[in-house]
Amino acid sequence: MKLKVKIKNKECGIDILEKDGKLLIKVGDKEFVFSLGEEKKEEDAICVDSNGECFLKEIKSFLSGSISEVFLKEGDAVEKGQKVLTLSAMKMENEIVAESKGKIKKIMVEVGDKVKEEDILIILE
Amino acid sequence: MEIKKFQKLASTNIKAKELIEEGASPWTVVVSQEQDSGYGRKGEKWISPKGGLYFSVILPKNNIDDLQLLTILTAFVIAKIIKEEFNIEPLIKLPNDILLNGKKICGILTENVIGKDVKSSVMGVGLNTNTESFPGLENIATSLSREIGRKVDNDKILEKIIEEIKKQLEVISK
Repeated sequence: MKLKVKIKNKECGIDILEKDGKLLIKVGDKEFVFSLGEEKKEEDAICVDSNGECFLKEIKSFLSGSISEVFLKEGDAVEKGQKVLTLSAMKMENEIVAESKGKIKKIMVEVGDKVKEEDILIILE
Repeated sequence: MEIKKFQKLASTNIKAKELIEEGASPWTVVVSQEQDSGYGRKGEKWISPKGGLYFSVILPKNNIDDLQLLTILTAFVIAKIIKEEFNIEPLIKLPNDILLNGKKICGILTENVIGKDVKSSVMGVGLNTNTESFPGLENIATSLSREIGRKVDNDKILEKIIEEIKKQLEVISK
């Protein structure tokens, strides 16, 4: 996409194109590369229990950090709002709580593990 | 702002978190004359005998980036107050410790409860104000009174710190 723009009364040509998944803007003989800001929106997996109540199937990490404590074990029942683990991140201690009740099917992390944002920490059933 | 004073607690952060469960409002401040299980990041023990200033502030709901910034700014705020009030030069060990003459004088620990977003936050501060001795830790810890040779007013320092934290949060939340 070629355009002409006027900057301080001086006309110059700009070219906007995509290159290797990035946005490339050429102004005269100069090139500026921008990453395309993709909105990543992942849907949360939702299950329905035997009473017909909805619950979130996964507890995901809200932050990147390292796991400092895990309070529950596989097979444990968990209530909404119950503390499940502590994540050290951004020089703060963060208690991760369950957003819905359920039973712990699998704990995906252990103390000392590094996790990234959106990583699955616990799977519920 | 409500200040709840206690003679002795396990930890002001623990008490503040309990108070949140009981419906305490943001800017409630929990102060204890001593703590028998004071802790810092990763559960490290914070020795908290009588004489020191140990308090936790229940923070208003905020996003995680602002909370991190506020923790760092609190270290700056406390260092500034120490410098201005007592004419000594503290050193900030980022993000959440303050040293005087190479020895630790203050630690800050922010703890958040997180579900899909931040549900509540407590910021705890341990400041060695009038602590007389640090058995076994003499080489790594000190207090304001040891450094300046006189006792300081804990209530006045607390008031100044809270006032400044509020100001900083107002600025970064804009």
